[in-house]
Amino acid sequence: MDQTALDLQQRILAVIARGVAQATTDEEFDGLAREVFVFQYERCAPYRAYCDRLKLTPQTVTHWKQIPAVPTSAFKSFTLTCFPAEEAVAEFHTSGTTREKAGKHYLRTLDLYEAAIRPNFAAYLVPDDARLPMMVLMPSPQEAPHSSLSHMMGVVTREFGTENSEFYVEDGLLHVERVVRDLSEAQLAHRPVFLLGTAFAFVHLLDHLTRQGLKFEVAEGSRVMETGGFKGRSREMPKAELYGLIERLIGVPKARIVNEYGMTELSTQFYDDSLRVNHQTDRKAAPPWARVVIIDPNTGRESAEMGRGLVRVYDLANMWSILCVQTEDLGVRRDPERIDDHKRDARRTSGREGATTASRDACPTGEKARADGFEVVGRAAGAEVRGCSLTAEDLQLE
Amino acid sequence: MSATIEQIREAIGRTREARERVWQHRTTDAVITALAQAAKNWLDPKSPWRKRAVEQATAPTGFSEAMVNEAIDLTFGAITYESLGELLDRELGNRRVLDEFCLRGRAQTRAMGPRLIAHFLAGNVPAPGIVSMCCGWLLRSANLVKVSTHDPVFPTLFLESVREVDAELADCVATLDWPRGELALTQTAVGDADAVIAYGDDHTVSALRQLAPAAAKFLGYGHKISFAVVAKEAMTEENLPQLAQAAAFDASVYDQQGCLSPHVFYVEERGQLGPRKFAAALADAMAAYQARVPRGQLSVEEAAEVVKFRTGYEFAAASDRRIGVWASPSGTDYAVIYDDSPAFVASCLNRIVFVKPTDGYKRVLDAIQKFASSISTVGIAPMNERALAFANDLARMGVHRVCPIGQMQRPPLTWHHDGRPNLADLVTWTDLG
Repeated sequence: MDQTALDLQQRILAVIARGVAQATTDEEFDGLAREVFVFQYERCAPYRAYCDRLKLTPQTVTHWKQIPAVPTSAFKSFTLTCFPAEEAVAEFHTSGTTREKAGKHYLRTLDLYEAAIRPNFAAYLVPDDARLPMMVLMPSPQEAPHSSLSHMMGVVTREFGTENSEFYVEDGLLHVERVVRDLSEAQLAHRPVFLLGTAFAFVHLLDHLTRQGLKFEVAEGSRVMETGGFKGRSREMPKAELYGLIERLIGVPKARIVNEYGMTELSTQFYDDSLRVNHQTDRKAAPPWARVVIIDPNTGRESAEMGRGLVRVYDLANMWSILCVQTEDLGVRRDPERIDDHKRDARRTSGREGATTASRDACPTGEKARADGFEVVGRAAGAEVRGCSLTAEDLQLE
Repeated sequence: MSATIEQIREAIGRTREARERVWQHRTTDAVITALAQAAKNWLDPKSPWRKRAVEQATAPTGFSEAMVNEAIDLTFGAITYESLGELLDRELGNRRVLDEFCLRGRAQTRAMGPRLIAHFLAGNVPAPGIVSMCCGWLLRSANLVKVSTHDPVFPTLFLESVREVDAELADCVATLDWPRGELALTQTAVGDADAVIAYGDDHTVSALRQLAPAAAKFLGYGHKISFAVVAKEAMTEENLPQLAQAAAFDASVYDQQGCLSPHVFYVEERGQLGPRKFAAALADAMAAYQARVPRGQLSVEEAAEVVKFRTGYEFAAASDRRIGVWASPSGTDYAVIYDDSPAFVASCLNRIVFVKPTDGYKRVLDAIQKFASSISTVGIAPMNERALAFANDLARMGVHRVCPIGQMQRPPLTWHHDGRPNLADLVTWTDLG
């Protein structure tokens, strides 16, 4: 690793180390983002070719918002790295459907990746500094070495869990009986639980509980991290229904279920603000080392105030791959909520420590920086068909 | 607004009564004359029907005003005294068999249309529904027409325009709408029908097939896909501008949402000009068409799909020489994607079209074999001996329509929609002697 790269990486790590409460000004973010852009333009040939095609190069880009975004689909057909891919210390693959080629994200170092996980997870999942055994409804990193989610779970169980944390997916199977047994034990011992899993794993678990007529009342302080994405592996369920069922069958109130929004192509995750504001919210905020912009697909420009559009992420922790990723998700901008309005509810619903956190942390000193909050509202797929032509989804070519 | 069960029952009763009257007083020739006149009344640029359709149809169809105008020309331009007469003569042997016993071979015979036809229209392309209604009128049936959410305007206005010409004839048709999920309403509508004509996706069509009475005739038209092939003979300097214009028309009309809209143009290599030249010319022609007939407004979801599709290829095009993109400079108006992989790719619609080089017709057949039954139309340029051999291969594979590029969106009234006749499947015969 040469000195320029090392130096840039150090400065990004320093921003991350400040934590989520220490916002970056636009100027500070712009400076780093454009340095990363130059770095990536110089070292990633397919990206440089794309930038040249768009005539958006280090010579012409004057603000981070002009930095060209790479569609996630490009990770499927190109090796998007700023280093020789064979030197990668880890390689994460998108799951997708079986018909599709997997997207690949090569990591030069785990430092940035893991550094970006910690402060974010701490702020949005354990703002009360609770240390709980984590029940992870996913495969372990050993079992799924190419899953970024499993890797991340490995990091958070190590850093925030206890030695009793467990992974419940083995050989591709969710061991629901074991989950049920451990939930029962926790309930008997009045011990709060911390469940983490994909939405489809939760659907699977909840279906099992329904079939067996099981219902838990887990202890106060329990929480859930759920991450979207069904990808055809389980029946789809709207978020409200899923959260309702988790509340009813497991006993974790909706306000303590946090959705994680992340993807293989990124190094930074985004979380619902629920635990910090003490009520259920779909709003997510970008941490200081990332920005999220909502792009109106009809114009290619930033969406109007409340308009829906494509979620575009600028992630400094993606220094060794691609800073600016164009997702296929639809989102909408959501300004920060005023904590004061909810203080009363917060105290009533979820205990002392949460309310303290809310008043300490979320009454933003850096309100401006957190103004780029957003909510994910859908996918750029399955638009209603108006005519009579078959579409790609209908046409089974295999 | 959703119709009620009472309204559906009332409409069935009313159209049946009208049918009894019309049946006795109108000859087939009079019906043809009235329909042709009503259709003609739409074609005048200053026609009040045109004006109303343009005002009302842009919102539900999602088409631009210019596209609605184009749809009017395509739909009603095809309905003439001659074409309606030809349709009857071709399918029934002689248009007068609907009026009286006619000699056919050694025996006399006459044809009767269904007493009540229930039409379930779908989508925003008006032509199939309008033709379906015309068929009902020609057969002097009572017709209950459930319009599409994406186009409640054309059927209703066409009915009004027929009323202006022949009120009694118009009474044989009622247009209504209700939500697809309202099973009781749909059951009421099909319960007494002697024939059901259903348009829509496979799911809708098969659901209606289940609901239709066992004795009723059922014609189902599912969603289809189309493409075109440009043979090397057509790829000349002289021919290209006109060819590209014709191809752009086929690909752009109805914003590519129709089942006749091509998704892919296979272009044969080793012509005077190469496939990339075709892609570039097609993009120019699509730009010109866009300037004249803009694509409609897209929802955020639709635009997002276009962006997802297009940027993926644009990224690849920057460094992969096998890919090329010629796209509208701003927004999502249109894009031509050149990709030298021979595999068929369905477009995300809304004027995003693929150009793929091919070694020849044989290779094209390989690429489409797996979904031949889902194909509606194959456009070809030029129509020559080789094309004829290709058309024969396509026919064997189960493709139902092959036509010149530029005509894909203009099926004649007499075409075999999805391989079936329009009227012949609906009539029953009485022989005499």
